[in-house]
Amino acid sequence: MRAIGLLASIVLLSACGEAPRPDLVATDVVVNRPLPGAAMSAAYLTLRNNSARTINITRVTSNAYALVQIHETTVEDGIARMRPLQKLEIPAGGAITLERGGKHLMLMRATPPTDTVSLQFYDGDRLLLTVESAYADAQLR
Amino acid sequence: MGPRNLIVAVVLVAALVSGIFVATQLQKRPVEPRTALVLPAPTPLPEFELVDQFGDAVTPATFRGQWSLVFFGFTHCPDICPLTLQVLASARDSLRAAGYQPLPRIVLVSVDPERDTPELMGRYVNHFGDGNLGLTGELVELTRLTSALGIYFQKQPGDAENYAVDHSAAVLLIDPRGNFHALFSGPHVAEDYVYDLPIIMEAE
Repeated sequence: MRAIGLLASIVLLSACGEAPRPDLVATDVVVNRPLPGAAMSAAYLTLRNNSARTINITRVTSNAYALVQIHETTVEDGIARMRPLQKLEIPAGGAITLERGGKHLMLMRATPPTDTVSLQFYDGDRLLLTVESAYADAQLR
Repeated sequence: MGPRNLIVAVVLVAALVSGIFVATQLQKRPVEPRTALVLPAPTPLPEFELVDQFGDAVTPATFRGQWSLVFFGFTHCPDICPLTLQVLASARDSLRAAGYQPLPRIVLVSVDPERDTPELMGRYVNHFGDGNLGLTGELVELTRLTSALGIYFQKQPGDAENYAVDHSAAVLLIDPRGNFHALFSGPHVAEDYVYDLPIIMEAE
């Protein structure tokens, strides 16, 4: 009985030792520095949903920009368009990639410059992920 | 030399001559651009007057004497406009590195003249290399240029600070006589420009 109790506590301990896998993980984060003269820029990343339910990113905030919008560039019939998206939908176990010429975060109203940019991703009011990133070095050229 | 050897010699010489002939013809075969559409009849730019980043007037005469790659965009466009300008700058860098002359000038024409001042245009285009031009000005003058070239742009709803402008994604090549000469419809890839530009420019 005592041995079983000891075994149980070891199992519990080892379970506690494992870091919980976060529901939402960001990789390949690229935050572009605003071009000279511009107060806005763009950020790109891949978001992976490790949970068993769909995640909808409905709001993104930043320490360095007063306004962040989810945008998508499309080129159809030779016309380039940029439109705000209401949300980024990431299916259970799936991922979504924001990349140049497609979906991106539009960073607007730059606040006084910071070395690193933080981005907070919300599903409704629930903060799911905070990403910290330096500006991309070889930005654009 | 017996008659048989003479025949062999004649056949060999004939083969050699025809081989040289075929090789010469192959070299003369025109090389076609792989993405650009070269206009069958290059068309002059319409009368218009915009200003460059220095505040100097830009008219069709500004385009004479130099090849220009012209893109229509705006500075409050963080994604596809810098991407396209980067492709053009990168193509020009590659041509320069290969010792190629002449190098085309990159020209960004703002389709958002409300927000794009000459100063803003200058800071923006200078980021993509020296010698670039950033044009802005009166909406009516811009429309003269775009409508003649088949370039579309349309301001989208939004507040005064935050709105987008839809615009043609094409890049136009203007020749040193000031004619609209060729069209790159996109998607824009630097290697396509590096391949096509010398073919088009040398055909002139």
